[in-house]
Amino acid sequence: MTTDWISVPLVGLPLIASITMLAFVASASPAARHRIGPSVRMFTLLLSLGMLVVTTAMFFGFNQFAGEFDWVTMEFSKFNHEVRYVWIESLGIHWTVGMDALSFPMVWLTTFLLPVTIVATWNEKNAAVYFPLILMMGGALIGVFVALDLFMFYVFWELTLIPMFFLILKWGGHDRKYASQKFFIYTFTASVIMLLGLVTVYFLQPENLSYAGAWTGRTFDIPTLTAHAQSVNGSDWFLGESLQKILFVMLMIGFLVKLPSVPFHTWLPDAHVQAPTGGSMLLAGVMLKMGAYGMFRLPLAFFPHAAHHFQLALLALGMISLVWGAVVCLGQTNLKKMVAYSSVSHMGVILIGIATMQPLGWAAALFMMFAHGIISPMLFAVCGAFKHHYHSMEIGAMRGMAKHSPWLATSMMFGWMASLGLPLLAGFVAELMMFLALWHFLAAEGWSVLWMVGPAFVLAITAAYYLWSMQRTIFEGGDETQPPESLKGQSVPDIGDAEKLAMIILAVFTILFGVMPWIALDMMNGWTTAFFHDLLIPALNRGGA
Amino acid sequence: MEQIEPFAEGFFIALAPEFVLVIGLFTLMIVPNMGNAKFRIPLTQIRIPWLLGGQRGKFDSDPRLPGLFATVFYTIAFLLTAVSFFGGMNKTQIVTPSGTVMLQIDEFSRMFQLIFFGALALASAASVNRIPATSRADRSLSGLYNNRRQVDFYILLITTGLGMAVVALAQDLFMLFIGLELASFSTYVLVSFMKETKEGTEAGMKYFIVGSVASGVGLYGLSLLYLWSGSLGFTELQTAFAETGMEALPLIALGMLLVGFGFKVSAAPFHFAAPDAYAGATAPVAGVLATASKAMGVLGLLRILLIIASPEATDGSAVWLVALGVLSVITMTWGNLAALGSTNPKRMLAYSSVAHAGYMLAAITAIGALNWEEGHVDMSNDAALAVVTALIFHLTVLVCFKLGAFLVLSMLESEKGGHTLESLGGLAKREPIIAAAMFIFMMSLAGVPPLSGFVSKLLVIMGIVKVALLDVTVNSDLVFSDIHWVWYLALLMVINSAISVFYYLRVGLVMYFNDPEEGREGPLARGTPVRMAIVLCLITTVFFGVGAGQLIALAESAANALVGAW
Repeated sequence: MTTDWISVPLVGLPLIASITMLAFVASASPAARHRIGPSVRMFTLLLSLGMLVVTTAMFFGFNQFAGEFDWVTMEFSKFNHEVRYVWIESLGIHWTVGMDALSFPMVWLTTFLLPVTIVATWNEKNAAVYFPLILMMGGALIGVFVALDLFMFYVFWELTLIPMFFLILKWGGHDRKYASQKFFIYTFTASVIMLLGLVTVYFLQPENLSYAGAWTGRTFDIPTLTAHAQSVNGSDWFLGESLQKILFVMLMIGFLVKLPSVPFHTWLPDAHVQAPTGGSMLLAGVMLKMGAYGMFRLPLAFFPHAAHHFQLALLALGMISLVWGAVVCLGQTNLKKMVAYSSVSHMGVILIGIATMQPLGWAAALFMMFAHGIISPMLFAVCGAFKHHYHSMEIGAMRGMAKHSPWLATSMMFGWMASLGLPLLAGFVAELMMFLALWHFLAAEGWSVLWMVGPAFVLAITAAYYLWSMQRTIFEGGDETQPPESLKGQSVPDIGDAEKLAMIILAVFTILFGVMPWIALDMMNGWTTAFFHDLLIPALNRGGA
Repeated sequence: MEQIEPFAEGFFIALAPEFVLVIGLFTLMIVPNMGNAKFRIPLTQIRIPWLLGGQRGKFDSDPRLPGLFATVFYTIAFLLTAVSFFGGMNKTQIVTPSGTVMLQIDEFSRMFQLIFFGALALASAASVNRIPATSRADRSLSGLYNNRRQVDFYILLITTGLGMAVVALAQDLFMLFIGLELASFSTYVLVSFMKETKEGTEAGMKYFIVGSVASGVGLYGLSLLYLWSGSLGFTELQTAFAETGMEALPLIALGMLLVGFGFKVSAAPFHFAAPDAYAGATAPVAGVLATASKAMGVLGLLRILLIIASPEATDGSAVWLVALGVLSVITMTWGNLAALGSTNPKRMLAYSSVAHAGYMLAAITAIGALNWEEGHVDMSNDAALAVVTALIFHLTVLVCFKLGAFLVLSMLESEKGGHTLESLGGLAKREPIIAAAMFIFMMSLAGVPPLSGFVSKLLVIMGIVKVALLDVTVNSDLVFSDIHWVWYLALLMVINSAISVFYYLRVGLVMYFNDPEEGREGPLARGTPVRMAIVLCLITTVFFGVGAGQLIALAESAANALVGAW
C-alpha cells in the first residue's frame, strides 16, 4: 500500500480546518465565541499532535512499511511521498508535493513546534481565533516546505504572511500596528521581486520539459528544473552567466529578507518584540528558516555558477550578520529584542555555512536551521513568560528571579546556554561544524586563518550578553525576603503547568539533538553530499569555474 | 460565420441578452406607473381600466421594486450570455443589407458582456436598499415621488448595460462610438445621482465635463479616420492601415481615439476626474465605473490598437509602442503614489484603479513590442494571445474584488460613513464576515496568493515577460541586455504592487485594529441583496484564485476570438 498521499492532507487539513473554524467563529456571537474557545483549542492541539505523530512515524517506521524509503541516499530528482495533481493545466501549474532530506526536517520541526506552541500559549486570550490562526500558520509553513512547484511554493510563501500579520496585529504588544505593517510590507516587497525572477526563469527554460503547460510550453516543476540544471553541459547551460547572476540576486533578495540577513533585518526585531509569544515562537522557529530553505531549493540549485560567483558576497553578508547581530545584542535592554537580534546573529551562521560552498558547511547550515528551530522557540517562550509574569520586558525589571520563580529561571538559563552554544546542546554542533567548514574554506582559498577571529570573537560576545542578561535577571539584587518592586505588591508567580511542559519538551529535544545530532545530521549530510556530487561540482566543472 | 440582417430570422435569438435588457427597460418604465386609472369614453359613463397612472398599488410603488427588476433582468441577460457562450458558441454577424458588418457575436464580445452584466447585476442588487426612498407614510408632495427616483436610477443603469453591450459587439467605429456614448451619458447622470449632496453634484459636473471633452476628442479622431479611409468598419480600416498607416492623418486620429478611451480606463493623464467622480458617486456606481466602465475602455483600446492599428502593419513593432509604454509607467506610478496619500477609501480605490489601468496598459504595450516578421508570426501570435488572456482574466476578476470592495463601502454609506478611513474602524468587531471579506478584497487587490488578484497579476507579468523573452535565443551567451525593454515594465509593475500594499494593508489595519467611531457601534444596516452580493464577490474572488484554470480557459477562448482573427 502506498502512502504517498500523506503529504497532501499534511498541508490541506490544517488549512481547511483552520479556515472552517474561523468562518464558524466569525458567525458566532461574542459570548458564544468565548464559550467555544476551549474546544477550539483542544481541537487544534489534537490535530497538530496527529500531524506530529504522522511525521514522526515517517521518520521511524517507513523503512519497514515502504522499502524504497530512504532519507539518506537521496537523489535530486527523486522525492519521497511525491504526489502530483494538475492545478492549472494551461500554465503548467501542478499541485506537486514531496519531501527530501532538505524539507523533511523542516516539516517535522513545524509539526513539532505546533503542539508545543499551542501548549506554551495555552491561556492566550480570544482562543477561538488565536489557535486556528496558529494552525493555519502551520499548514502554510508545511506547504512551503513540501511544495515542489514554483507557483505553489510562492502561494504558500505568501500565505504565511496573513496569519502572522493577524497574530501580531491582534495579540501583539503596544506598537503592534506599526510592527505588523512593517513585517508585511518588508517581506511582501522582497517576495514580489522574487516572483518576477521566478517568472523570468519560467520563460527562460527550454520549451516542452516534462509537466509543461498546455499553451506556455513551460513548467513550474522544481524537480524538473533542477534536473535540467543538473543534466546540461557547460556550454548549453540554460542561462548565460550574466543572466544567472541577475536572476540569482532577484531570488536571493526574497530569501535574504526572510532569513533575515543584515542589512534587510530591520523588520525582525520589531516583529518579534511586538508579536505574541506563540507568533514569535513560530516566526523564529520556522518562518525564518523559510529563507534558508528557499535558498537551497531554488537559487543554489538553479544557478550554481552565480552562487559560486557571489560566494564572497554571501560570506560577507553572513559575517556582518553574525557580528552585527551580536554587537547590537550587547546594547539591548529589552529582553525580547536581545533574543531577536541573537536570531539575526545565528542566521549569519547559516549564511556563512552556505557561503563556504562545501558539503560540511551546508550540513552545518541545515543543522543550524534545525537546532535554532528548537532553541529559539524556547527563548521566546521564556520571554513570553517573563513578560506575562513581570509585566515588563526590560532586563533588570526583575532581579533575583532564581529565588522567586525557579522554573522560569531554570528554563531561561537552559535556553540561554543552548543558544550560546554550550557543548552537548544542539546549537553547539552546528556552530562547530560551521567553524570547521570555514577553516576548510580559508585553507583552500589560501587566506589567513586570522579571518576566523571574527566568528570566534562573536562567540565571546554572545556569551557576554547572555551571561550579562542572566546575571541581571536571575541572580543579582533583590531583597530575598521581599518580592521585586515591579510586581507592585502582587504575589510572586512562576510559570504555569502548561508552560512548564512546553519548556521541558523543548529542553529534552535540545539535549537529544545535542547528544545525538546524527539523528537529523545523517540525512542532511547525505543530502548535501549528493547535492555537491550530482549537481554542484559537475555543473561548476562544466562551466569552467 | 453566420450573417444575419437586422430583424431577419434569428436576429432576436442572436441578440437575446440585449433584447432582454430592452424589455427590462420598458418594464421599468411601465410597471411602476401602473395604477387604477380608468379611461372614460367621452359622452358616456363607461370607464375602461387603463392602468397607466392613478393611484398605485402597494406592489408597484415599492421603492425596492425597480432595483429588484433591474437585478433580475441583468441576471437573465447574464445567464443568456453565458448560455450563448458555453452552449456551443454560434458566431454571428449582423450585417446591413448592403453588406457592412455592424455587430459581431463571438467569444470575445460575449466574454466582455459577461463582465458588464455581472458587474451591473451586482451593482443593482447592492443599490436596492441604497437609494434614499421617501417613506410611504409621507402624505406630502414628496410622498408622490415614492419610487420614481429609483426608477430613474435603474433605467439609467440598464441603458449603461445596453451601451456597453453595443461596444462589445460593435464591428464598426461608429457603432462602437454610439454604444460608448450611450453608456457614458448614463454614467454621467448616475455619478451625480445624489444631487442633494455637494460631492455628488461636483462629481457629476467634473466627470461630465472631462468625459465629454474626451469623447469630443475621440469623435474628432474618428472623423479624421473617416476622412482618411472613407470607412469606419474595423476590417476596412485594418486594410487601409496596413497599406498607408504611417501617414500623419491616421496617426493623429489614432492618438485622439486613444484620448477618448484613455479617459474610460482612467489612464494618466486623463484620470483627473476619476477620484472625484468615484468619491461623489454612490459606491455601487463607483464600482461600476471601476470595473465595467473600465472593461469597456480596455475593450475599445484592444479593438483600436490591436485590430485597426495592429502591430503587424508595421515592421518590427507597433508605432504606438513607446507612447503607450511611457503612459503605462506614468499611470501605474501616479496612481499608486496618489493612493498612498488619500484618506478617503473611495478615492483610494479610484487611484488604485488608475494603477491597475497602468498595469493593463503595460500589458497592451507588450503586444506592441512583438516582432511580426515572417517566420516569427506564430510565436508572436502566441504571445499576444497570452497577454490578451491575461487582460480579460484581470478585467473579469476585477469585478469580483474591486466591485466587492465598493459594495462594502456602500454598506457603510448607508450610515453616512465610507468617506473616511476611520469610518471603517472596528468593522471586524461590528461585522466579522463583512470585514473579512473586505480584507480579502484588499489582499486580492494587492496581489496576495492564492486569491484571484494574484493570479491576474501573475498572468499579466507572465505575458509581459514572455514577450520580453520571445526574441532571445537561450544559450550561455545570453546577456541581460538582450532582453527586450518591456521586461522593465514588469519590474516596475512588481515594484508598484509592493508600494500598493501600504494602502491596501491600511484598510485592514483600520478594520482590525482601530475601535469603532463614536456612534458607529453595533452591526451595519441590514440589506440582504447587498450582503448576498458581497458574499458572491468573496466566493468568486477566492474561487477564481484557487481554481483559476477554468477562467483562464474561458479567457483564452475569448482572446482567441480577437487575436485569432489576425
